[in-house]
Amino acid sequence: MILLDIISKSFWAGIAAIGFAILFNVPRRVIFSIWTLGALGGLIKFTAMQFEFGIVFASFLGATAIGVISIKMAHMRNSPPLVFSIPSVIPMVPGFFAYKMMLGLIALASIENTDAYLQTLIETVNNGAKMLFILISLGIGVALPMLLTRKESIKKSQFNKKKKIAV
Amino acid sequence: MKTKTLKEDAQSAGNILLETGAMLMSSGASTHRTRLTLERIAHGLGYGIELLITQRALMLTIIEKDQQHFFSRLKRISPHGVNFRIVSGISHLSWNVLEENWTIAQIADELKRLKSLPHYPRLVVLGLVGLAGAAFCRLFGGGYTEMAVAFVATVAGLFIRQEAMRVKFNPYLCVFFAAFTASLIAGLAEHFHFGTEPDKAFATSVLFLVPGVPLINSVTDLMDGNIQNGMVRAMNGLMIAFSIAMGLYAAKMILFF
Repeated sequence: MILLDIISKSFWAGIAAIGFAILFNVPRRVIFSIWTLGALGGLIKFTAMQFEFGIVFASFLGATAIGVISIKMAHMRNSPPLVFSIPSVIPMVPGFFAYKMMLGLIALASIENTDAYLQTLIETVNNGAKMLFILISLGIGVALPMLLTRKESIKKSQFNKKKKIAV
Repeated sequence: MKTKTLKEDAQSAGNILLETGAMLMSSGASTHRTRLTLERIAHGLGYGIELLITQRALMLTIIEKDQQHFFSRLKRISPHGVNFRIVSGISHLSWNVLEENWTIAQIADELKRLKSLPHYPRLVVLGLVGLAGAAFCRLFGGGYTEMAVAFVATVAGLFIRQEAMRVKFNPYLCVFFAAFTASLIAGLAEHFHFGTEPDKAFATSVLFLVPGVPLINSVTDLMDGNIQNGMVRAMNGLMIAFSIAMGLYAAKMILFF
């Protein structure tokens, strides 16, 4: 039952990724790859959350997987990695926490009762911190594989080989 | 590079490079990618370049190796919205310049072709982004009724945003209008008790507006050491997020008083 839930959620994560891919006007040949990446990222994230990794680390794992595979995909489908990675991680963006934090901030502006104020403050800071760290982990998760492979891939890329022949 | 004759005029090369860079930056490429691509094209054409890349302007100096001549020009970057078809196309183009020795005229033709490439049909965009809204609702635990509400709200919000963009409102205002419309529709559903968890639809109806490209590019730029561009992008993302929040807030004020 849990497995089924994870798989169906991953499926919908892929659909959300496709929606953003269309919004960003990606070339038609990469749409299916983006669905696969989005679903895979969702699968990893939800599985990790099932094993109680916490949502921040789970998002980081999902985003890193997307970042690594998007580099492979870039070579296969002849498009830069960011074309794959950005639409695919967007389903993991912590929109619900951002929404909760915003509502909390608005409530903080009007609550007078001290106990209720403290309770709202705790929840708001908690939601805000979760949102911030998830966002950072998504960004780093996508950027890190590119930064790690850059050194190697520049050495091995055709760019350098051709230069040697020409010079 | 000795086989290549440096016949081509440095001035037209510089203009084409600036054009390419402006297209890349406005379509959502990171600073490092823009720099790498321009350097690759310039190398293919047989020039060395120095670049200053900011979010709204591009400065380029071309240095001809044998002569003392140089060419320097500034170009404004006008934001057009994310377009990965252009990013992908320019990536191809830069390799073609390097490997197949494209001339400046060929590059200009290819840029013109890339600019004229169609967007997806409007109905397809509306439908699929609506589906994405429904998918977000499902991800946050909504049922089928909430998903339907999120679909309708997202489609309406995106429609309003497209219309507002068409008559050239301020971009943050466009986001505000879209967030307001979407959350108003989702909020009406909540008001009339559609579904079991209506707040899920309310929260997810505006997620199609999240500034994913500015925020992720911001982290990429910051980690590449392009601190200035990274901060500008982060601030831009925050402004968009704030506009979304204001739209939600306005809709909530109207609905719950």
